[in-house]
Amino acid sequence: MNERMRESLSALMDDEANELELERVLSLLGTDKELRLAWTRYNLAQQSLHDHQPAYCDWDISARVQSALADTPSNLSSGARTLTKNGLLRPLISFGIAASVALTVVVGGRQIAQLSGADPHGGDSAFMASASPVGMLNSLGATTVQASYGMQAIPVLQPATRTAYQELAQQRQRRYMQEHAEQAALNSPQGLVPFARVAEIRE
Amino acid sequence: MTHNTGNRWSRSRLLLLPPLLAALAVTGVVAASECAETDSQALQWLDKMSRSLRQVSYEGVVTLQRGGEMQVMQVSHSVDGASSFERMTELTGQGAQVERHSHPMDCVHPGDQLLRIGALLQEGRCGIAEQYRFTVADGERIAGRNAVNIRIEPRDMYRFGYSMALDRETGLLLKMQTISHGNQTLETMQFAHLTYTDTDTASPASQVAVIHAAQHPQSGGETTGTSVARPWKVGWLPRGFAATDSQLGVSGRRTYTDGLAVFSVFMEELDREIRPGEGLVRQGGTTTYTRGMRLADQPVLVTVIGEVPVNTARMVADSVSWEQ
Repeated sequence: MNERMRESLSALMDDEANELELERVLSLLGTDKELRLAWTRYNLAQQSLHDHQPAYCDWDISARVQSALADTPSNLSSGARTLTKNGLLRPLISFGIAASVALTVVVGGRQIAQLSGADPHGGDSAFMASASPVGMLNSLGATTVQASYGMQAIPVLQPATRTAYQELAQQRQRRYMQEHAEQAALNSPQGLVPFARVAEIRE
Repeated sequence: MTHNTGNRWSRSRLLLLPPLLAALAVTGVVAASECAETDSQALQWLDKMSRSLRQVSYEGVVTLQRGGEMQVMQVSHSVDGASSFERMTELTGQGAQVERHSHPMDCVHPGDQLLRIGALLQEGRCGIAEQYRFTVADGERIAGRNAVNIRIEPRDMYRFGYSMALDRETGLLLKMQTISHGNQTLETMQFAHLTYTDTDTASPASQVAVIHAAQHPQSGGETTGTSVARPWKVGWLPRGFAATDSQLGVSGRRTYTDGLAVFSVFMEELDREIRPGEGLVRQGGTTTYTRGMRLADQPVLVTVIGEVPVNTARMVADSVSWEQ
């Protein structure tokens, strides 16, 4: 993948591509394996940024579950009627009241550690508290939601990744800003001013 | 590390050369014809600005505006023979103070080397003008000084633009605005008050909360930050960026500059899986981009912090890999 293509691809992901770039990327996606891989990577990263369901999680049920959940009144039985009426989500009636078993979710061959933290969607499903992954934040990546699909319990991933990653970026900014400022002070024309960008300067 | 003798540094300075030369070699590929007449005038100003920043004695009050937030600080820089002393004291916010003692005058870091390109110009090459387009114009008065204005526009999408005002007499940077691709001002640094000082007259001490001694690369390439178990590399850099110090493969940080913009890449090995994704924080002209991913079965977290667009940070993070 050449520089130009990389640029087009990135512009495309940022919705800044013009038609020409779009055409170029699309026409090469079919034949260029490296481009296809980069496309997947960018998409994956992009989608978590925009709180979409990640591409590797290839059942789309969780998104529907989530939107259904948002519409569901707190009285579950009346919610169940509403859901049943549209015929779409019948198996999900018992959503939210399934057993609160802590699950390790396996999606697309990847193991995602059980993650802890408050439920951003305010559901009443229980979560098992565990040490935060890599010791960095309270609610990282996916939160598992207990759902029941027919007779079988299914772990459903909710895309809480966006919030979690944003928190992670904030933490990393606090941790690394000073080290970056040390370098910026010596290598940009602003003298010691880059240190003023550090929220809390450590001795 | 605050005290460096000239001898110690002159050894370590050699270590800075290879990455810089590599960057210059890359930039040299671009046709020299792009280096227009107006650019050479601007380049002379940037050269003068870079020298002035390190060689002139001054003190003053600087404001830094980012979004709705304004910080005020007192700065001073004094030259005493072969070394300089500089200090920045925050008058708002945390109230921290940063000092750099005994910085050797002959210690020129890559950022300044990229701006001092007089020799390159004579060879018909234009250094940083291959990355930026310049417009020189008369400027307004800033902190009581007549200024010359330099408008700096990036030639690609990987860096921000700037509007700079330099002291017409000394070349000192009086004002610098960081401008996004959408022509939005992200950050403004500006002198509110400036006095040139002849001798080492340290300004009266303010009440400070914390005093930090600014760090300096040490000879031998020891790292002050974290390190990782495996050597890693950044596979892609925007044109014209050079490493700021000689970095060992296992150092947890890499920093690059094109003379105006600086960004750092931090690598962390995680001891458990992380769901792939990215997080972003923008503050003024500074982007913090964190990416969780797998590198050859090892979950890692790569963070890019710097005064560059998100797009650049993302592409740099995407190019990180283990050394073979």
